[in-house]
Amino acid sequence: MPDRREILDRAAKAFIAALAVLAALPVLHLIGSVIVRGGSVVAEAGLRFLTEIPPPPGGRVYGVAPSLAGTVELTLLATAMGVPLAFAAAVLAVEFPESPWGRAARLLSRVLMEVPTVLVGMLVFALIVAPTGTPSILAASVALALVMLPYVTVYVEDALSRVPPGYREAGLALALTRAQVVAKILVPMAGRGVVTGVLLGVAKAAGETAPLLFTLGRARGYVNLDPLGPGDSLSLLIYDYAAAPYENMRAVAWGAAFILVTLLLVLYALARLAARGARW
Amino acid sequence: MTRVPPEDRLFYYTLLPSAYIIIGALALLVAVVAWESAPALGEYGPGLYARNAWSPSEEGPGDYGLAAAVYGTAVTSLLAVAVALPLSVALAIAVEELAPRALRAAAEYLVDLAAGLPTVVFGLWGLEVLAPLLRDHVMRPLWEGLGLLPPFSCEPLSAASLFTAGALLAVMVTPYMFALVREAYRMVPRDLREAAASVAAAWYQYVLLMLSMVRPAVAAAALLGLGRAAGETVAVSLVVGNAFNIGACLFQPGYTVSALIANQFGNAYFYPLMPNVLFAGGLVLLAAGLALNWAGLRLLDRVRLYAR
Repeated sequence: MPDRREILDRAAKAFIAALAVLAALPVLHLIGSVIVRGGSVVAEAGLRFLTEIPPPPGGRVYGVAPSLAGTVELTLLATAMGVPLAFAAAVLAVEFPESPWGRAARLLSRVLMEVPTVLVGMLVFALIVAPTGTPSILAASVALALVMLPYVTVYVEDALSRVPPGYREAGLALALTRAQVVAKILVPMAGRGVVTGVLLGVAKAAGETAPLLFTLGRARGYVNLDPLGPGDSLSLLIYDYAAAPYENMRAVAWGAAFILVTLLLVLYALARLAARGARW
Repeated sequence: MTRVPPEDRLFYYTLLPSAYIIIGALALLVAVVAWESAPALGEYGPGLYARNAWSPSEEGPGDYGLAAAVYGTAVTSLLAVAVALPLSVALAIAVEELAPRALRAAAEYLVDLAAGLPTVVFGLWGLEVLAPLLRDHVMRPLWEGLGLLPPFSCEPLSAASLFTAGALLAVMVTPYMFALVREAYRMVPRDLREAAASVAAAWYQYVLLMLSMVRPAVAAAALLGLGRAAGETVAVSLVVGNAFNIGACLFQPGYTVSALIANQFGNAYFYPLMPNVLFAGGLVLLAAGLALNWAGLRLLDRVRLYAR
């Protein structure tokens, strides 16, 4: 006969395990749903899903070409603006931690990270969209760059500060300047961590919706690549079509979710691959 | 002024614009949100947050109040954290103390992935899968069985409700809160773990001791999770129901500040004062988000100090 303690122990383990399963289940179900429901929509539509425009209400499932092109263009533009700034801010924070600007970059990037992203959309609307009179791919990518900037800053800063201080000191002792220490020692040593941070930031930007609500313009009847004109994104298409009262539009939303999640999985796989080789 | 050696000055000055842009973005955000809310707060005073009204008018000033949205944000994010806290703590304990090595790696990967999935995909799943499931198998039984209790006292007519939004938010913040609790759990030094194991007669007592050591981190996870949940926008606006209700019953459709902004801000400029009212909502989100995060990060610092 097991004693009271043993019974309590087993009960506690079972309780914890049950709660843990309950915590993991929804996420598994979500990923499964995207693969099964979204995957079957894409499989049925075939390559047309990537090359055609979205459908009118009712009828068959068409494609998501304008939104896919928009997501790719937005992500590239936001990366081009956000990543160099984030890298500079991270180097400033790591190499000049005593300077007020270095300290501000370190502290405020953490504050900016926690600002609800819908507010970034409102800000860009007030500062760019309203004065220029039109939503645009450029305005939306500024919003995305602002969202990814603090993430990449924090990740890169983390990667750079993991390099053991002895290496930096050795470089300085050889009379290298800070710039040379960063370029010749820190970046080569922390390179994989830096790449991981950048990729995670890019993935964050690619999946965001809230900053685009008022800045991008939902131009999904044609493929527009002009950054000064309105565009669309997969995330925005999913948001609009998820609540649509037509079966075929909701199917397109699931298919778009499948494409978006697949893109992100590729980015995460790359980030993990980069992280695996990271030495520091 | 810090002394930057002359050979590093050019490098330093090249890096500075990045700091200016981060500071500038944050300052602009606070300034624009405050500036744009001012007319709305001037019209209604702080009472804007206590009155429930939404009658836009293209000619007149209309009649606005944010009470329903503020109420919905508070209810849904508190509900989310109340559900997610036990789940994420249990998941952390299970991963650290119970799971075999292979399962642990799988759980780690899954949680990383979940934390990075786009929120709009959670919204799609919440609307199409979770909401009908909750209505038929959770909300309806609760209403039929425990309908005398105020939170369950109304018939769940629509699948979109404050309850649904809270549940979806719980799913979304669990990976984030898990990561925070687990990081602290791992930081407990080995000798303290051994001390806990040596005074605890049973496994559950050992776990309780470990939990008491990471208590500040659990509190921090709750605060940071609350901040995340309050600011979440697109997923919530898909499942909250978007109706200006205030009431104890969780099964009625409601609104949150972020969902109100998501739905109304795009067309707000056709109506005088409406953009300002929405910015005033944004002001609350900003203030609450920054305050919760500041408090949460301070608590986390305490754990890190003590772990050293």
